[in-house]
Amino acid sequence: MMRRISPNHDRLQSLSGTWRDINGMPSLMSIPGDEQTAAHLGIADLSFLTRFGVKGAGAAAWLESRDLEVPDRPNTWRSLPDGGIIARLGLTEFLIEDSLHSSFALRLAEACQHVPDRVYPVLRQDAAIVLCGTAIPDLLQQTCSVHFQSFSLNDHPVILTLIVGVSVTIIPIAPDRYRIWCDGTFGAYLWETLATIVQELGGGVVGADRLI
Amino acid sequence: MNQRRLPPISGEWIDRSRPIQFTFEGTRFTGYAGDTIASALWASGQQILGRSFKYHRPRGILSLANHDVNSLMQSGQRLNVRADVTPLDDGMTLSAINTFGGVMGDRASAIELFSPFLPVGFYYKAFNSKRLFPMWERLIRNLTGLGQVDFSTPHIRTAKRYDFCDLLVVGAGVSGLSAALSVADLGADVVIVDENAKAGGSGHYQLGNEPFRVEKTNELLNAIENHPKIRLYTQTQASGYYADGWIPLLDHDRLTKMRAKAVIAANGAYEQPAVFRNNDLPGVILSSAVQRLIYRYAVKPMNRAVVLVANADGYRTVLDLISNGVTIAAVVDLRDSLNSDVARSLDQQNIPIFLGYCVYEARANPGRDGISAAVICPIDANGNPQTGFKQTIACDGIVMSVGWAPAANLLYQAGTKMRFDKGLQQFVPDQLPSGVFACGRVNGVFEFEQKLIDGRRSGLEAAAYLGLGERIQVTISPERESPSHPWAIVEHPKGKNFVDFDEDLQYKDFPNAVQEGFDNIELLKRYTTVGMGASQGKHSNMNALRILARITGKTPGEVGTTTSRPFFHPVPLSHLAGRGFTPERRTPLHSRHAALNAKFMLAGIWKRPEYYAQLGKTRDECIALEAQAVRHQVGIIDVGTLGKFEIRGADAAEFLERVYAGRYRNMKVGTTRYALMLDETGVTIDDGIIARLGAEQFYFTTTTSGATPIYRELSRLNTMWQLDCGIVNLTGARSAINLAGRYARDVLSKLTDLDLSSVAFPYLAVREARIQGISVVLMRVGFVGEWGYEIHVAAEYASALWDLLLKAGLEYDIRPFGVEAQRLLRLEKGHLIIGQDTDGLTTPLEAGLKWAVKMDKPFFIGQRSLQVLAKRPIKQTLIGFMLDPNFQGTPPQECHLMIARDQIVGRVTSVAFSPSLSRHIGLAYMRPELAEIGDPISIRLSDGTIVSAIITSTPFYDPDQLRQREDVTQREEVTV
Amino acid sequence: MKLMTCPVNGARSISEFVCAGEVRPIPDPNTTNDLAWGAFVFHCNGAAGIKQEWWCHTPSDTWFIAERNTQTDEILRTYLWGEVA
Repeated sequence: MMRRISPNHDRLQSLSGTWRDINGMPSLMSIPGDEQTAAHLGIADLSFLTRFGVKGAGAAAWLESRDLEVPDRPNTWRSLPDGGIIARLGLTEFLIEDSLHSSFALRLAEACQHVPDRVYPVLRQDAAIVLCGTAIPDLLQQTCSVHFQSFSLNDHPVILTLIVGVSVTIIPIAPDRYRIWCDGTFGAYLWETLATIVQELGGGVVGADRLI
Repeated sequence: MNQRRLPPISGEWIDRSRPIQFTFEGTRFTGYAGDTIASALWASGQQILGRSFKYHRPRGILSLANHDVNSLMQSGQRLNVRADVTPLDDGMTLSAINTFGGVMGDRASAIELFSPFLPVGFYYKAFNSKRLFPMWERLIRNLTGLGQVDFSTPHIRTAKRYDFCDLLVVGAGVSGLSAALSVADLGADVVIVDENAKAGGSGHYQLGNEPFRVEKTNELLNAIENHPKIRLYTQTQASGYYADGWIPLLDHDRLTKMRAKAVIAANGAYEQPAVFRNNDLPGVILSSAVQRLIYRYAVKPMNRAVVLVANADGYRTVLDLISNGVTIAAVVDLRDSLNSDVARSLDQQNIPIFLGYCVYEARANPGRDGISAAVICPIDANGNPQTGFKQTIACDGIVMSVGWAPAANLLYQAGTKMRFDKGLQQFVPDQLPSGVFACGRVNGVFEFEQKLIDGRRSGLEAAAYLGLGERIQVTISPERESPSHPWAIVEHPKGKNFVDFDEDLQYKDFPNAVQEGFDNIELLKRYTTVGMGASQGKHSNMNALRILARITGKTPGEVGTTTSRPFFHPVPLSHLAGRGFTPERRTPLHSRHAALNAKFMLAGIWKRPEYYAQLGKTRDECIALEAQAVRHQVGIIDVGTLGKFEIRGADAAEFLERVYAGRYRNMKVGTTRYALMLDETGVTIDDGIIARLGAEQFYFTTTTSGATPIYRELSRLNTMWQLDCGIVNLTGARSAINLAGRYARDVLSKLTDLDLSSVAFPYLAVREARIQGISVVLMRVGFVGEWGYEIHVAAEYASALWDLLLKAGLEYDIRPFGVEAQRLLRLEKGHLIIGQDTDGLTTPLEAGLKWAVKMDKPFFIGQRSLQVLAKRPIKQTLIGFMLDPNFQGTPPQECHLMIARDQIVGRVTSVAFSPSLSRHIGLAYMRPELAEIGDPISIRLSDGTIVSAIITSTPFYDPDQLRQREDVTQREEVTV
Repeated sequence: MKLMTCPVNGARSISEFVCAGEVRPIPDPNTTNDLAWGAFVFHCNGAAGIKQEWWCHTPSDTWFIAERNTQTDEILRTYLWGEVA
């Protein structure tokens, strides 16, 4: 059985910590001392979560027909039952990410064998990152020209922008919890650049355990 | 040592409990924490702080406001240290720049003797002679320069950052503070920046010995300090105004890119010097500099002063001097009468006041490190000196308080229209752009109380703009006297009356320039170089403008100002460089390549293996071996950088028909076809493969560099056309691996159950299959000209798939090959590379690609232009060529030209040594009439050598495509 | 730097955008003569003025039209293709 490999695998391999296979992907779950790091500023790889993408004029209706509650406004997100995320990217594209306990992605991928008109599946192979800690604003101020404080978290905003020159999707879950997705082939560059700045700001890489 | 240090002054910036040792020009000095270099030196009696740029004249303190370019110093590796504002640091080792033999005995001051031969426009004229230019260049390089670069200085990278606010107030003087409070009180998020070490501005030093101003300023500062909506950044320079409220803030550590919804310019004004002979001597000093010396650094500026005034500020300075022990030898007022209360109050005090007089000249002391006297005389109605009535007054300091110029740089850069106010003798904002406001002296408001009101007024306007308050009508009373004199300039037959201290420009340089025809402010600037020195005209532009106005008979408003450009003060390159962000892409197989000793190259923004290094072998040897492995057994290459797209929908075929030049709607499911993309002008811009996976589903590839721009353009086209289809960009989501060579099928068959026979999976077919349960798309493509498969899989499975393929290929001696081997193998097949073998004007007609274009389609991009071009004869055609098999010597390179009868008849586009054919092969463009197969050609190398070649048909290798036929795949070699 | 407002994503730094030039009606290739076609392909309107331009917000791949004064660089409004003011 072929294993899935995270776009950030090479950078995490050298770190000592506890690894576990999740959804067929070797994943770094904890690093000694990462509790303190996570409180101040931590970066972790969540690429192991399963994901599904779809776009097109018919995508919203199709998702609803599969019993998903779809965000009604562009660039907003909702929680899925069992803890996943469904994000509306712009007007007609959706990103669905499972938690460890849900499997919408798999079911939707299977349903894609027969999709109706104007529903276009989008294969997602993101590098998925989570930032945690109180110093997140310092990191974002160095790397992104969007004023995150101007968004109200109650609106569940989804922000498509550039971080260090890379196209990303960002969701501020909480003031000390930000999710970031980017094209996997940019993953190495994004991770290395952010991890360097995270370290300069007194933070570090953390395991995924405390963040899912 | 500190013979000029005053007893403690309330609010002084120095900390007397922390003395600091430093050296200047080899001599040891002591100052205090909080001193600047200049204040510490002046306090110790050191008056010569530097030498001027051109004449190497001794110079001292002029402004103490970051305009004193003549006291630029070098501190170890640190260049461009501005002594007037740079804080003193322990152990600083300072030297003056631009001297021969030190600041005290600069030998280059002998240049002054040649000054008659160094007229204005000297540089311009000297450089006109090409023959003499090298001599001038050597001479000027030796004589000038503002420091010695130490090339071992470490590179400093500073982390830039973004910041945001509702309102940015530039300047923490009383008007700016007042403005900030009025807006913050209405709920706006306010940032105040000030370039000084502490906030408060002139409210802390333009006192006239009255505590009231200090008290009011401190009241405002206290309110700011405790305000939850105000951030105050001192020692921070707002360096320019860029579009939409984008302001770079520079502090000691970094550059912050501030986005402000509204900006209030409260930058104040620069005090302007008077122009008279020897006005540059140490000891001739601006009155605000005097006040800064006293109130910030507790330094007595001089013992005995002549104070030249034309405004109330000057009289206040007189009071500040008197109360700190300086004797006033005379007050010289350019005006005829006492115009202010403070002036009148002075009159009561038995201080000699000369109304309607000017300072005609300053006399140097014997040591030439200061002044000994001021020569004054009356002036007539036109401001001309009446030298018959001169008087000499002994003094060791001449204080100038003759006027101001607004620090309006940011306002100009924001697009403000300024007008010249005759009463104020200053440019003031006339039309401000949306979201930009001004208050205080930059707005022409000088009186202290009025500055507070003006600050509040601009704050309320900004608040209304931000939607936070109502516009309230606020009236500002007009100034009771003009703060600036229209003509504080005195001509002198012996010259040395300086207008620009940075560039050593004297008064006479200006009429001389105008006489030569440079009578417009922009021309005058460039010819004289006024305002082009390191302080960028802050103390000289206004006087230059006045002189030009007088000479040409215009008003200053008519003369106008030159364009103001960022940065406001110099910015260190380390801050601008910051940390560069240069995105890079890597395929999921990157670590596999690294483990195999790949030498990586950048292909666009992708990292790709150029070749795989082997111990003891050169680059060329490695590449040849990789190519041979593909030809003889089997090779594997990561082609994951290719653009990969899926298009679905009822109009999918229609869309492809429109954007590509060929025919696709008749493709059978399971087949692939070469696809050529043109632009509107009919020029080839990309090529790839289209595979049909279903009636309404296609999968297509583009070149690596084309992927992103093509996807964007296709999105735009579908936005316009609104066809019933959708395109998904899978470039990063899918990995692609190419397996090529006669054992490729053997390797793949170990991993999949799919029938790989040539009947079930013919050349150019596409199949979907599974490898260990994972979906893959397989295509048999031409590529390098061997039996092979391009395998597309989701990126997360790429590493696992690569490992499986290598393992399966072990018994066949499978070898990874890189970009260079790939290019060589493809060249052997005569495949062209868009952008290498085509350029920005190449059409399919010239590149031998007519076969890929179906002109009978209803519409495709480039069709109409090709219809036009098809009517004309082509001027060049792509041909293959080969060198003689025994060729020795330097082979031709890309872009070498073909010559026939002394004419350029073509150029090489690709060339390489082919191991399969054992000779050099290449592609080139040739005039069609000279392009017959078998024709000889002459290629001219860069050094003029001619290399002979012969035109050949392509493909060079396996022209009959035998390698794609099942019955020949077991053959060892294929004859060419 | 300059701000550009994407109709879907809001105001962002101009570095997030790419401009594809003025919106120009394409002459019918079937009926237009060679000269007129050549003019369309090679001659762009360089005069300063208010132009409708194609812009793309690259992180979200959103194409829209910006009405811009090319002399003052003021962006008057942005809207999605097909939306009438």
